[in-house]
Amino acid sequence: MSRLTRYLPHLVLALGAAVMLLPFYWMLLTSLRSPAEIFDISLWPVPREPAAVANYAQAATTVPMARFMWNGLVVCAGILIVQVLTAVPCAYALAKLRFPGRRLLMALVIAALCVPMQALALPLFVGLATAGLLNTYFAMMAPFFLSVFAIFLFTQAFRSYPDEIIEAARMDGFSELEICWRLVLRGALPSLAAFSVFSVVAHWNDLYWPMIVVNKPTLAPPPLGMLFFSDVETGANYGALMAGATLITAPMVVCFLLARRHFIAGITMTGVK
Amino acid sequence: MTITRRLALSALALGLAAPSFALAEDVTLNVLYNLPGFTKFHQPLADEFMKQNPGVKINFLAPAAGYNDGQQQVLRAAVTNELPDVYFSGYNLTAELVHTLAPRGQIQDLGPFIEAEGGAAFLSANFTPNMSALGVIDGKQYGLPVNASSPIMYVNADLVTKAGGDPADMPTTFPELIALAKRIHEMDPKVAGMSYDIAGWPDDWLWQAMITQQGGTLVDTATGKVGFDNEIGLNALTMIRQMAAEAGAPTFDWDQARQQFGAGLTGVLFSTPAHVQTIEGLVGDRFPLVTTTFPLDNKERGGVPTGGNSAVMLTSDAAKQKAAWNYIKFVTGPEAQNVIVRITGYLPTNKLATGEAYLAPYYHDHPNVATAARQAERSLPWAGYPGGDSVRIWRTQRDIIGTVMRGEVTPEAGLAQIVEQTNALMK
Amino acid sequence: MSALDLGMAPPRRTDAARRVARRGLLFALPAILLLVAIYIVPMLVLAGFSVTDYQLGALNWDFVGLKNFRDAFADPVFLRALWNTVLYAVIVIPAGVFLALGVALLVHGRKRSRAFWETAYFLPVTATLVAMATVWQFLLHPSLGPVNAAIRWLGFEPVSFLGNPALLIPTMAVIGIWQVLGFNMVLFLAGLTAIPKDLHEAARLDGARHPLDRFLTVTWPMLGPTTMFVTVTTSISAFKVFETVAVLTKGRSGSEVLLYALYLEGFEYSNTGYAAALTLIFLAIVLVLSLGQSVQMDRKVHY
Repeated sequence: MSRLTRYLPHLVLALGAAVMLLPFYWMLLTSLRSPAEIFDISLWPVPREPAAVANYAQAATTVPMARFMWNGLVVCAGILIVQVLTAVPCAYALAKLRFPGRRLLMALVIAALCVPMQALALPLFVGLATAGLLNTYFAMMAPFFLSVFAIFLFTQAFRSYPDEIIEAARMDGFSELEICWRLVLRGALPSLAAFSVFSVVAHWNDLYWPMIVVNKPTLAPPPLGMLFFSDVETGANYGALMAGATLITAPMVVCFLLARRHFIAGITMTGVK
Repeated sequence: MTITRRLALSALALGLAAPSFALAEDVTLNVLYNLPGFTKFHQPLADEFMKQNPGVKINFLAPAAGYNDGQQQVLRAAVTNELPDVYFSGYNLTAELVHTLAPRGQIQDLGPFIEAEGGAAFLSANFTPNMSALGVIDGKQYGLPVNASSPIMYVNADLVTKAGGDPADMPTTFPELIALAKRIHEMDPKVAGMSYDIAGWPDDWLWQAMITQQGGTLVDTATGKVGFDNEIGLNALTMIRQMAAEAGAPTFDWDQARQQFGAGLTGVLFSTPAHVQTIEGLVGDRFPLVTTTFPLDNKERGGVPTGGNSAVMLTSDAAKQKAAWNYIKFVTGPEAQNVIVRITGYLPTNKLATGEAYLAPYYHDHPNVATAARQAERSLPWAGYPGGDSVRIWRTQRDIIGTVMRGEVTPEAGLAQIVEQTNALMK
Repeated sequence: MSALDLGMAPPRRTDAARRVARRGLLFALPAILLLVAIYIVPMLVLAGFSVTDYQLGALNWDFVGLKNFRDAFADPVFLRALWNTVLYAVIVIPAGVFLALGVALLVHGRKRSRAFWETAYFLPVTATLVAMATVWQFLLHPSLGPVNAAIRWLGFEPVSFLGNPALLIPTMAVIGIWQVLGFNMVLFLAGLTAIPKDLHEAARLDGARHPLDRFLTVTWPMLGPTTMFVTVTTSISAFKVFETVAVLTKGRSGSEVLLYALYLEGFEYSNTGYAAALTLIFLAIVLVLSLGQSVQMDRKVHY
């Protein structure tokens, strides 16, 4: 009985994890297989005739994969930087400064949380087009410069920062900017890590918006680049396709692994509880 | 591999070279094509064209995922005045494109350019009347055909032989074919006798094929109503139901259908000849693959709809127009068509390309590719519906065809629904 | 500006308070400007489109009043999309919340293996859907996929997950749960970490011997706010379902959802006016739902 209660949770977790990881496993497996084995139902990990080198070479050379990755990096970094630069002061103001319209702003932020980007795509597209900004990194980033999710998350995290310390810092002659960026944000670094993971993952994987505003291959981020592989009319080298998919997914996995330690602490801190 | 590496390099080079200044006499043409897989012939053709025309630079925009996506991209670009200079438009959507762009002066009649080349003599020397008609809208030659194909059968010779059929002499009518597919399916219920992925196809190509192969028409030109509100339409739906009910035809997506055929679990697959190389690759040496022509129930008047695209000129700048015309003339010419056919398995649109100098030896060596050419004289235009709502009409029809295919609705009731809803959408 | 100040007690007009208010506005200003540019102006533009018959690319259009809205509620595709979205949400919300809670409880109890389980369950959040579409097609293939191989091995008939329209929404929902589970688990883990250890001790001393008793008397009530938050975020993402449909079924009959319906009208059919009307209806539904939940959340949070 005691052994059962000890191992049962592991067993249940392992079964669940197997389901969660099956798609990843299959992706990796197929990326190692030769076309002759693609249709095998077997999940045996060792391919009969290894084709990994051929598949990955094809994935990396048929399309300018490095270029796509670079574009993804530029877009994600640009979005994240502006999101943090605008959301942190706003969240600080919402959490710690009483100013007129604060409640209204908070209500607007919560309302905007439910508005999906797709709903506003058309006017945003027309706006960027009239400004002559299509086919730029800016067009890919602009609609995401404001993250209401970040404002919400940081407001929650900043609220728990002790008011006494802020008061004391003001007495000591700290400017409000210094208090915001050097004291309050430093106290909430884990939530910054948590948000960064969400933001980068979301924009690295976004296909919808780049597809609308960008039509130059040199600007395509990874998922748009993926379309060059999984072409409906002619493409069918599933091994190379999955090799490409693995190459695109890997940076996000690494990114999560690096941030993992701060991650849950960060969420805890936001007081989303 | 050489082509693909060259593509990678040139795309990179493009990115690096972007800020350099163009010389005054140089012309850069922005070109948009659909279907990213077409890169494998568009890029080498453009390289060749640039070599022959040193003053012109072909700059490809990121290819659109499909004909509908490309059409939407061009319509959006029309609003923002960011149109490509040359676009490769799907045959069935060209009329809608012209009707939207012509009033805005954003699409050019190719008539004057053809006139300068010799007019009707130039056309008839290069194109059959059927072919050049694919680019005619409202009596004007807006496009010239670049890719053309009609649906063909991919046959798993092992399965067909086992079921008592002859892969070299496949049935030429649908009732016979369905009977053969039924025998294949009955040998092993896990195997689909045939696969006709009409309910998952992104456009109405396979549905039109079922109508035209019986000699029917899509739209009755006299009344402006649906042309298959008769035995032909009913027959088409009845046979589609039989494919699913008797021959085990699957009802899922075409990707999945193609995977299943590649795995050796489908007797006969219907698809575009542009898939020949892909499917050969998928099949590998699992089984001998044979392709053959589309069955025709009506041998006199029956035919198959032509899929593919025409090159249209969107630029209104005179210098660019001249370069664009040369480019269009080049990609629809025999030399380029020879390349396209060898890479894709499409029909050549230029009749000079089939001669001994170009494709005749190739066809002899690659019988699976020659299939499309064998039904060339049976090729009919790929029609659109008047009123500019073809995409929506097909989505509506496809849903109803799906219910018939799965047996939820009788063919009679299904036909009534299709006719009623299509007529309503054809304003 | 102070007219907008809802429900706040009128501040004493001291210099300090005015200074703080000025700074607050200044700090919030960049975000406010972006909010106006990215959300409010586009929304107004949409509202403008929604009362016209404008089609993208057309040279002229007419004012049609509320016709687009009336049409929407007589449009079978839109009504199907509405129903499908509700069905999807009804599956994803409870499963996504309670499975995540279960996983979080199990993971929270682990010491050495915790990092591994967290990573395993969180990985799907990082997946690129475009790439995953092909994976799902294979995994769920009736005759080629391992899932159906398992079903056959158990002695059942293979299931055409992506072929049978009745199964499309449930299949999408399972993929939706797969994607949201790790995110929700992390939120629950955070909630669990925040529960003071001595509360469990106190409950044990009070006679709650069985772990289930302790869960019901301590953990569950303490997790109340987390559960509310997770429910709200899960419902929002459930109503926003789009990519799975766009990539896996391209909106085939049986899988139409609200966002896909308005994408079709707006971008595939270029029916800008009508699409704008559908968008406003969609936003109204989502706002009402989430506002209702937030009000409830507010009540629960300040006990």
